[in-house]
This record gives sequence, structure tokens and C-alpha cells, in this order.
Amino acid sequence: MQAGQTVMERSKGPPDSGMNPLARFFFGFRRSSKAMRIFLAIAGPGIIVMVADNDAGGITTYTATGAQYGMHLLWFLILLGPVAYYVQEMTVRLGAVTKRGHAEAIFSAFGRFWGWFSLLDLVMTDWLTMITEYIGMTAAMSIFHFPPILTVVLVWIVMGSMIVSGRYWTWEKITLVFCVINCIYVPAAFMVHPSVKDVLYGAFIPHLPPGGFTNVLFFMLMANIGTTIAPWMLFFQQSSVVDKGLKEKDIKFGKVDTAMGAFLTVLVAVVLIIVCGALLYGQPINSAAQAAIAIMPTSRFIGTTFAIGLFDAGLLGAVCISLASSWAFGEVFGWAHSLNHKIKEAPWFYAYYFFDLLLAGTVVLIPRAPLVLITLFVQVIATTLLPAALVFLIILLNDKKTMGKYVNTRWENIANITIVVTVIVTSTMYGVSTIFPKLFGS
Amino acid sequence: MNAIIQSLITQVREVNRKYAKPEIEMTRVVKFCLLSLRIYLLLLVALMVVKFIMVAKG
Repeated sequence: MQAGQTVMERSKGPPDSGMNPLARFFFGFRRSSKAMRIFLAIAGPGIIVMVADNDAGGITTYTATGAQYGMHLLWFLILLGPVAYYVQEMTVRLGAVTKRGHAEAIFSAFGRFWGWFSLLDLVMTDWLTMITEYIGMTAAMSIFHFPPILTVVLVWIVMGSMIVSGRYWTWEKITLVFCVINCIYVPAAFMVHPSVKDVLYGAFIPHLPPGGFTNVLFFMLMANIGTTIAPWMLFFQQSSVVDKGLKEKDIKFGKVDTAMGAFLTVLVAVVLIIVCGALLYGQPINSAAQAAIAIMPTSRFIGTTFAIGLFDAGLLGAVCISLASSWAFGEVFGWAHSLNHKIKEAPWFYAYYFFDLLLAGTVVLIPRAPLVLITLFVQVIATTLLPAALVFLIILLNDKKTMGKYVNTRWENIANITIVVTVIVTSTMYGVSTIFPKLFGS
Repeated sequence: MNAIIQSLITQVREVNRKYAKPEIEMTRVVKFCLLSLRIYLLLLVALMVVKFIMVAKG
């Protein structure tokens, strides 16, 4: 150790010049393993939000895409990975720098009108989306002859148990296990023995499927974009980053976490399309549960993994969506709103979580409840919130007073604004086409 | 129940008071974005109302 050298300087190792290769390798390995340990401690919000993005609705969309267009739209799904990354990465920076969730950030920056609009719209959208998650979960479990009430009660127990520990870390680790289960589809993509040539062509050569550009194709592309970026994702990841306590110096690890999540979400989407493209091409498939039943005669194992994956996707979506709303309410009203608080310490935070959970599950159990209408209505309601949430995000990320050196660079603005405008236009057209189906001939 | 409702009303008023003034600098770009959002939402709501009327009329 050189005279005057601090402990911190010594721990970084001696300068590279004059070091023998073995010593250089050793210090390089030590630096890398330290970085890996920090990353593993910080990883979580990005992976969870992205994998949860493949919720019951997302799984259904990819299933229908594969059944209708085979491998021809793989390239489009791969392109959506960076789209999701660039949008979600902004929430990491905003959360780490401001230490505020997205709802609170909107209230502070834009005032009470836009704040209440965003909060109440989020609550409505999230609650309706929760119902669609329950629809997916009950449909999946009905394949194994579980009655809906049993599925709903099981979900209540699982989701309730996950959060009562009073530790964010416990909740996160359990959720990451569910994220791993979400990758259950991956082996199925190999088991169906797809044509490698078709997969590579579909994945890396942008082209239109047979039949060219039709209204149906346009509707399907819009549905895929709509399922990739959902408003709750912005609120969830930012609040999760704050609850986890990420600091500005952790932003680079948060970006890697988000990138890994984007990779996983695209991976699951791609394998679903491969499986459905190989086994169900040309068949009219409207839901993932229907796909699982259709696959069962061909391969009971793949059909079973489909059903388990659908249940897991719905559960992950439900967990994240309910937390997104609870965090948003807690931030705005100033309630204790951390998963690091026990129920007695944050009663309103947990009360809202359980209220949301129970109410959405109860709706699914009502006989002759208009579940199809609710599923369609979600698309429309999301259209009112998503553009506002994205525009607020861009404006906040360009506010130098708020973001300091983490403000958007020119290239980030070019990428983000292009993505935001495209997502707003397509999601609006998707919402409008849901209200007026004949408008685009879909 | 009345006490809970009163408490909620008080909290809402507190939120409104706390966030009465937007902190963001209202540059021309920001004002344009917010105005565009308002017009966008009004058009969307109008479309939904039209659809509702169409469905109600059968």
C-alpha cells in the first residue's frame, strides 16, 4: 500500500500498469463479482414489471397472434422489446432521482386536476384489468376442473400471504419466483420442433404475412402494442423503485434490470407465438385457455404448461396491478405506503390492496357478469390514461430542475418521443376501434 | 361511517391544498402538451358518449 492511500483506494486494487496477468485477472474478477452482487441486490422492479406485462391479456394476445399469423410477426414482437425498455427506463430514473411515485410526481408537477384525473383513471383501469386477470386465472384452472370460487379464494390467500411479511424484499423474492414460473413456456417452444428456417425468417426479416396488410392485421398489431405498454406499468415500476430505496447511483443497475425484464417479456412472447404458430396455425383461437384446450390432444404436457402459465400470468398481473393502485393512493394521501411496513403501520395501504383484490375477484363470481364487456372496456379506459401518463413522463424527464444530470439527452428524447407518439396513436386507434368495431373493418 | 367519510373529505381537501400550484415550469411546450391532452380527452369522451347513445337507441 502506498503512503497516504486510503482504504477505499486500496480496495480498488493497484493500478493496472505493471501488474502481471494473473493479478489483473484477479482484480478484474473481484470488481465484476462486486458489481454482480450489487446488481442482484438491486434487480427486481424491472424484471417483475416486464414479466408481469405478460399478464392474462398479454398471453391471450400472443396466442391469437401465433394462431392467426404463425411465425410471421415474430420480428414485430422483438421490436417491441426496446419500446418497452425505453419507456420503463424513464420511470427508473424518475423514481430514483425524485424519490416519488408516478402519481405523486404528477400531482406535484402538474397540479390537482391532472393529479386526480391520473389517480382516478388509474384506479378504474387497474380494477377492470384485475377482473381480466381473474378471468384468465379462473379459465386456466377450470381446465383442471377447479371451480371458479376455489380459484378466486386460492388467489386471495396467495396474494394476501405475499404482502403480510412487512418486508419489501420478501414480497419481491416471492414475486420473482412467479416470474421464473412465467418462463414455463420456453421448453414448449423446443418440444414442438418448429421449422428453424421459419422462425429465423419470421424473427429477423421484417415482412408482412400472407394476405398483406389488412384491417385484421392492423388490429392485431395495435393489440400487441397495447399489451406491451400498459399505464399501470409506469406507476408500478416507479413506486417499486422508491419502495426498494434505489438511489441515483443505482440507476445504471436499474437500467440493466429493466433491460433484462424487456428481454424476458419478449422471450415469453416469442415462444408463445412459436408454440401456437406450430400447433394452432389457421385455427380460430380467441383466448389462451382455448389454446390450452386445443393443444391438449396433441401434447398433454404442453397444454398443461399453457394452463399453468396462464394462471401464473394472471396472478403476476394481479399482484402488480393491485400494488400500483395502493402505492399511488398512499403517495398522494400521505399514508404510510411501503411494503416494509406491517399492516398495523400502514393500515390504509393494505386496506386498499385487499379491497381491490376482494372486489375484483367477487365480480368474476357473479353469475352472468358481463365479463366480455369488461374485457373490451379495459382497452377503452386504458386509452384515456396511457397518453397522459406517457406525456407527463416525457415532460418530467426533460425538467432539468427536477432531474439534474439525469435529464433526458437529445438521443433519449428522439427515441422516447418517437415511441410515445407511436404508442399514443396506435393505442388510441385500438381504443376507438373497440368502441366502433366497423370503423377499421375489424 | 360518517366519521370515515368526514376524514376522507378532509384528506381530499388537504391534497387539493397541497397540490394547488403546479411545480413544473409552464413553458410553451408544456402548455401545448397539456392543451393537446385536454382536447384529446374531450374527443375521446365525446366518442364514448356517442357510442353510448347509439347503444341506448339500439
